Amino acid sequence: MTSLGDLHTTGPTAPPARATMVRVPGGTFLQGSPERTLDWLEAEGQAFPRDWFTDETPQRPVTLRDYLIDRYPVTVTEFADFVARTGYVTSAERAGGSMVYSDYWEIREGACWHRPAGYGSGVRNRGDHPVVHISYPDAEAYATWAGKRLPTESEWERAATGRAYRLWPWGDTWDPTRANTAEWTGGSLRGLDEWRKWWSGIHNAQGPVPQTTPVGAFSPHGDSPDGCADMTGNVYEWTSTTAHLYAPETRCDPTIHLVMGRFRAIRGGSWMNFRYQVRCAERLYGDPTGWSNFALGFRCADDAPESGAEHHGR
Amino acid sequence: MVTVLLSAGWAHRGQKTFACHEGTVRDVIREFVESYPHYRRRLLDDDGEPLTYYNVYLDGDLVEATDRSRVAAPADSTVAIVPPLAGG
Repeated sequence: MTSLGDLHTTGPTAPPARATMVRVPGGTFLQGSPERTLDWLEAEGQAFPRDWFTDETPQRPVTLRDYLIDRYPVTVTEFADFVARTGYVTSAERAGGSMVYSDYWEIREGACWHRPAGYGSGVRNRGDHPVVHISYPDAEAYATWAGKRLPTESEWERAATGRAYRLWPWGDTWDPTRANTAEWTGGSLRGLDEWRKWWSGIHNAQGPVPQTTPVGAFSPHGDSPDGCADMTGNVYEWTSTTAHLYAPETRCDPTIHLVMGRFRAIRGGSWMNFRYQVRCAERLYGDPTGWSNFALGFRCADDAPESGAEHHGR
Repeated sequence: MVTVLLSAGWAHRGQKTFACHEGTVRDVIREFVESYPHYRRRLLDDDGEPLTYYNVYLDGDLVEATDRSRVAAPADSTVAIVPPLAGG
């Protein structure tokens, strides 16, 4: 038996099964949001100005070959298997802590993938939850070990939205019961003040424990057209794509311009977010130099084998 | 004066730019917090020193955390404070 924090495994387990990957057919899709989505966001009265979202524009055609992408984010159990087999030490473990949210973001001593809320916390009974506190190098290391790679930002968006543009994987009508977001956990939250009150109640009772749910808990009604689960909410997910604008003339929040060429694209939003931050075309960017937080995970992708050929990934 | 720039994600009541006096990047951040204590928890540790989890750019160039006490922000420059999870 292997013991990792409070997580006990029965030794090396079977590698991630290929059956948990979805084959997305190649073709051309429109990546990004049309202007009408920005009009809608402005009309919704949500917290951010239009230039917070203009990095999603202009919508442009992107052509992809067939590829594979994990149906689910990588789980605690899968990551534990990787660590047990390789002895890998994550960025958070090397740094002695990672970021959690209390009343603001803070570095919590001891926080890492097997102690998601810091010292005294653990992952018992969370083996099927998405792993968190994963830095970009951590995600790349796992993907390489698994014989896979991280999805590009285009691959991620295509897997979430399908062949045609839609706000969320299931369509254009928001439904809080289809994904793990703050609006599912907290009910009808209106604005940041109500969000803070909701989170304060959880934090006071539990500490900064990630409100993740088992992967696939919202399947099938929350799945994308190609059958990917948890593309909306649960955990933020790394992609391999370096932050860039879709068109050089685009103007957005000045701090977003500063991370272009420096950060990596992150997709999907998380359990912390409202409906606006978990859309298929929504873009976030993460510092790839070792930073992580308690809502940040990943899933893997791979090139699709030719029809009839065996895939030789782990 | 030096302009301190925040992202919309951090801006309290929509204000994203602030004026501070010239000085090292560390001094600019500390003066900014002194003027706008609402940001203390985000930006300074318990000893009043700038936290290291966020990135700071001086006129578009990254200032490493270890250099913030050495690098000077001159008049008419912009000190941008960017969280490690940007946009959204």
